[in-house]
Amino acid sequence: MTENKLKLGIPKGSLQEYTLKIFKSAGFDIDIPERGYFFKIDDPEIECFLLRPQEIPKYIEKGKLDLGISGDDWILESKAKIVDEASASSPPFANARVIEVCDLKYAKKEIKKVKWVLAVPQSSKIKSVKDLEGKTISTEAVNLVKDYLKKNKVKARVEFSWGTTEVKPPRFADAICDITETGASLKAHNLKVIDTILTSSTKLIANKFAWQDKWKKEKIKDLALLLQGAVKGEEVVNLMMHIPGGKLNRILKILPKLKTPTIKKIAGENWYDVTIGCKEKDTRELIPKLKRMGAQGIVEWPVMKIVP
Amino acid sequence: MLKKKLKFGFPLGAWQEDSLQLFKAAGYDIHFDEKFQKIEIDDPEIKCILTRPVAMASFVEKGFLDAGISTEASVFEAGAKVKVICNLEFLKPVPSKTKIVVAVPKNSKIRSIKDLSQKKIITRVPNIAKKFLEKSKISAEIIYSDALLNEPLAGVVCDALIEFARTEDYLKAYNLKVLETLLESSVILIANEDSLKNRWEREKIEGLGYLLKGARLAQEYSGLMLHASNEMMEEVLKTLPSLKKPTVTQLRGENWFDVLTVANKKEIRKIIPQLKKIGCTDIVEFPLNKVVI
Repeated sequence: MTENKLKLGIPKGSLQEYTLKIFKSAGFDIDIPERGYFFKIDDPEIECFLLRPQEIPKYIEKGKLDLGISGDDWILESKAKIVDEASASSPPFANARVIEVCDLKYAKKEIKKVKWVLAVPQSSKIKSVKDLEGKTISTEAVNLVKDYLKKNKVKARVEFSWGTTEVKPPRFADAICDITETGASLKAHNLKVIDTILTSSTKLIANKFAWQDKWKKEKIKDLALLLQGAVKGEEVVNLMMHIPGGKLNRILKILPKLKTPTIKKIAGENWYDVTIGCKEKDTRELIPKLKRMGAQGIVEWPVMKIVP
Repeated sequence: MLKKKLKFGFPLGAWQEDSLQLFKAAGYDIHFDEKFQKIEIDDPEIKCILTRPVAMASFVEKGFLDAGISTEASVFEAGAKVKVICNLEFLKPVPSKTKIVVAVPKNSKIRSIKDLSQKKIITRVPNIAKKFLEKSKISAEIIYSDALLNEPLAGVVCDALIEFARTEDYLKAYNLKVLETLLESSVILIANEDSLKNRWEREKIEGLGYLLKGARLAQEYSGLMLHASNEMMEEVLKTLPSLKKPTVTQLRGENWFDVLTVANKKEIRKIIPQLKKIGCTDIVEFPLNKVVI
């Protein structure tokens, strides 16, 4: 009998905290020992491995992992042949070994969107990708940059960087390609951005053979449903409020249409209790507006999962 | 057209981390860039400026900033005329309040504030200290310090200190005893009076007030859900606190009701056993993000 156990790769580093958070919201508790990288998850059918996101796509391609979380950047960088879930069974993708199960984009973290940018010194004569012909570019994502240059029909030397990439121009390289969140670090190193190569999102990816196994596919699909529900739930909150009868219609008109509001009359009084779901970000505008329009006792609470 | 932007003072120092947490709880994606000492917030209409609360109170009064998170003591120290939008107390539920106290080393001969006459007092809040001494009709020398004060200073550089005391432990750890408490100080959202005359700015500041205060209250409140039969209802409604009228829904085809309300967590500790005794079932307590009363 083959053991029914899913091998799952959890990304170490910047994606780690967020990954654990959505697993928690999805209903899984992951126990992190103080030392060592062997996570314990409270599902006997899953075995977790903490690995660098750079390596997760490779191990999924090789079938060492059934399932994992990584970014678009490292999936592209690994050159793993990938196909989305919908076209997985069509013949042209027969050689793809990695299935993109779903996107786990975290919409709330706007400031921290991961961008790979091409940067050069402020004083550099390089103004666009075309000027890179014959130059040297230092980066941690060599394949990503090579593909980008190829697409732009530019020939340049791409050197792998072990880190401190911002320090390298102009002495060690003419340009760099690096991850940036706010651009502050680039500015501090006197660098300017000339192009964005990639805006990376977080993906749930699976091995093709795991996807062909009936038990594993079911398990992966269930997990994806819960994780996506948790990601959606991150953005959404419930709002409950009391509205006097005379103002009900006016207030109902300004409520977001995410979900039909639940309206209950309060017994013996001309007041209504209205509950809605809305995007957390919308509450910034909505709560003050509701308050001004006469709603009272506005209470907001979090949502764990939304499964449409 | 110039883009509308609120110039918002963010408290540098003791209240910085708790203020960040409160903004996060209010639904903002905000973070402090340590390397560049800058606050980034995902609201293009707010520009955060990090500054010490005392200086901030003056900046808000003069209109350099439209609003900000400061403290009562800071506004008092700066003698600033600003509008208080809401009281955020201590940014989270804490057992003890921040006070400004007169303290002396445990072994000092100074026993009461009268003994402070002609002594040297070191403080970070010289204006508050001066007013206190005037009121107590004591003449003493006030020495200003811009850094945290502690016991080695008192006794070496000076005889007493007038300092913030967030916890009793802090004073104990430095072998200090308190002679008198000058004032208690809450964290407050303040605004410039002229900024409030502009409609856009007023609504933006008031809105922030609702959200921050709502997030602050949600730390102390929970939602409570339970099932009760018709016979229990009267007693249940008497037991529940009256902050928010409970929402009662009849369960389909039964003589039972679903009751939903919001209450202080400390009250809930007492209420749940009482509700259980009455005979309520399926009691569920759930966390809240914001409570805007």
